[in-house]
Amino acid sequence: MGKVVVEIVALVLAVLARDGWSGDAATPLFAWPPPHRGLDWLQILPLVAALPAATIALVGLVRGRLVPAAATAGIVLLPIAAYGLGALLLIEDSKSVRFCGSCHIMTPIAASLSADGDSLATTHYRRGLVSHEEACFVCHSGYGIWGTLDAKMAGVRHMLRTVANDYTFPIQHRGPFDIDSCLNCHARSATFRAVVAHQDPDTQQALVKREMSCTGVCHSAGHPEDALKGPA
Amino acid sequence: MIRLACLLVLIAVAIAVNMAIHPTGPNAILFSFVGVPALGAGLLVFGIRRWRDGAFSSNRSST
Repeated sequence: MGKVVVEIVALVLAVLARDGWSGDAATPLFAWPPPHRGLDWLQILPLVAALPAATIALVGLVRGRLVPAAATAGIVLLPIAAYGLGALLLIEDSKSVRFCGSCHIMTPIAASLSADGDSLATTHYRRGLVSHEEACFVCHSGYGIWGTLDAKMAGVRHMLRTVANDYTFPIQHRGPFDIDSCLNCHARSATFRAVVAHQDPDTQQALVKREMSCTGVCHSAGHPEDALKGPA
Repeated sequence: MIRLACLLVLIAVAIAVNMAIHPTGPNAILFSFVGVPALGAGLLVFGIRRWRDGAFSSNRSST
């Protein structure tokens, strides 16, 4: 009986995790990358720990007692594993544009990426200069591991501010924009280096010292003003 | 007391399952600010119960 249950669970998980090509048959070239169907393995792993924990906790709730070994597994080990794996999922999935756009404050900004306009974000997104899956993270995470860490800390602050309702429209970037994100791609570009304004020593010093930023001075704003005003 | 621990853990695990299936911003907020405290409280209640049962002393009894 137990073996049958394990086989059924394995089959369900395999179906949920399956990858598949379901691109647009008319324009398959433009449907790249193929949309992911079912659940990702990072989503399944927390479930693998959480579902047995939920079963044990439910039995404990109904019966009012548990065998010590089952209680330790179902109330301590498996839930902690589920939350650890869930945190990994969050760290990875919070890089996606879909995740950023799922909060109502950010929804108009995420939507503006693919809309008409000349903001820097829209230009980069529509020309395919940044990953369509992780566009927000690419530009807002800074450079290297510390940039990633800063972005995650900023994400936690965003969640706290959302919970506390501590935000105002229009949304403003906290501090000057980290131009390392720009330089990471542009600094070695021949076209970037050929621009006379970029060769000016004073401008270079001001940029390196973070006294000025790329956006809002020489280049257009990062996002359209309407999108920063929040949902209509 | 074991029922309270199970209830808190069940709430926490339900939130984790919801977040795993639908990883969105609102669910991440729920996961971080409701689920984690619920799990912590459940573990605390369970730990107190086990401690009162003498699980951490040399004379152990069942849960």
